[in-house]
Amino acid sequence: MRRNTSTWGAEVAAVFAKEWRCEFRTRYSLNTLALFACTTLVVVSFSLGPLGVSRSQGTALLPVLLWIILLFSVAAGLPRAFVQEEETHTATALRLAATPSALFCGKLLYGLTLVFALEALVTPVYVAMTSFNVESPGLLIAVLAAGGYGLAVGSTLVAAIIAQARSKGTLFSVLAFPVLLPLLVLTVEVTRCAASGSAPDVALPQLLLYDAVVTVAGLMLFPVVWNP
Amino acid sequence: MPGVPTHLRFENLCRRFGRLSVLKGVSGAVAPGGMLLVTGPNGSGKSTLLRCLSGLLAADSGTIEYREEEGQLDASERRLRVGVVAPDLAFYAELTVAENLEFFSRLRRVSPARGFAVLERLGLPADRLGGTLSSGMRQRLRWAWALLHSPRLLLLDEPFQNFDAAGERTARELLAEHLAAGGLAVVANPSSLDFDHAAEHLDLGG
Repeated sequence: MRRNTSTWGAEVAAVFAKEWRCEFRTRYSLNTLALFACTTLVVVSFSLGPLGVSRSQGTALLPVLLWIILLFSVAAGLPRAFVQEEETHTATALRLAATPSALFCGKLLYGLTLVFALEALVTPVYVAMTSFNVESPGLLIAVLAAGGYGLAVGSTLVAAIIAQARSKGTLFSVLAFPVLLPLLVLTVEVTRCAASGSAPDVALPQLLLYDAVVTVAGLMLFPVVWNP
Repeated sequence: MPGVPTHLRFENLCRRFGRLSVLKGVSGAVAPGGMLLVTGPNGSGKSTLLRCLSGLLAADSGTIEYREEEGQLDASERRLRVGVVAPDLAFYAELTVAENLEFFSRLRRVSPARGFAVLERLGLPADRLGGTLSSGMRQRLRWAWALLHSPRLLLLDEPFQNFDAAGERTARELLAEHLAAGGLAVVANPSSLDFDHAAEHLDLGG
């Protein structure tokens, strides 16, 4: 029984719409992400003081802090993508009705919109609060898009792997470290280039390659970890 | 083999959980319009057998052959085709009954009409939130969900639990209609159940 592309797309859309409908009614991820984003933004702002940092220091320091804020906020909300399905026993009904790849992509799309919304809210506030000087705004938008996608796909993949494990929290940290570390190194590097106005050289292509590799790995691994 | 009627046959199914052997060489078969009643005490492997048949669980050894008109279906195809009623089957508490059925009908690419018709017969209001349903109402929703895509094979684990008399009567009617239309059913229950139609019996208690 093969499902064609249009039915597959409809399944992805159904999962995406269901995720947002449930989210709007519980606001679990939205509240968690907002809380972590606000807290870390305020902490960073206070610790830098009213004068901020010098331009040279800012180019080195502020990209790291921006991605730490984004990572912490995402790590608080996204790992529950599949855990909640297991804990509330809705996973069985999903296994019996959804094509695994469509389910993965629907969840990824939901995570992606959540990360992009977070970036759209946090980044302007962060830039304003820390007087973060960005010489190349276009490159910053590109790295936010590619890095945000990487965060979403990496978190969704790890969330799927840990869903059926007993020590979910610990396992998420252990698995997320090797999956997300290369992403963060690359995003910080490209964000520094955006701040200084220099060319990103190989960092941006490597970031795009990372996104592609993790997406393919997710699509190949998910049916195996999701089904017996 | 086109033209071969729908049938389910399983032979020598074994399944262990660690050191615990739950299924030890279980065999059975169901033909169109037929029903297999699986009985046995708690822990005898009834639910495990149904999970293996549905494709939710892989058997350690043994064979499962399930064929529909277009050919034999493997575990991943079987999983998307069968209709399942089971105690551990849950739906989204944040969505209404209707929204739950609409979501799964979109996943299955079928109209939700069949599910709504079953809901109406079972007397479950479609606008109730999933999280506010009583255990009997949840069982009604499981039946509507299982029949949503008009499956040929129904796998029913304790299908009448938590039902009141009217609910059980309607569920039995739905099962009888399914069998009369040439469908197949495997029913698991701790004790034997009386049915109007004949059923093969597989006792896992011995």
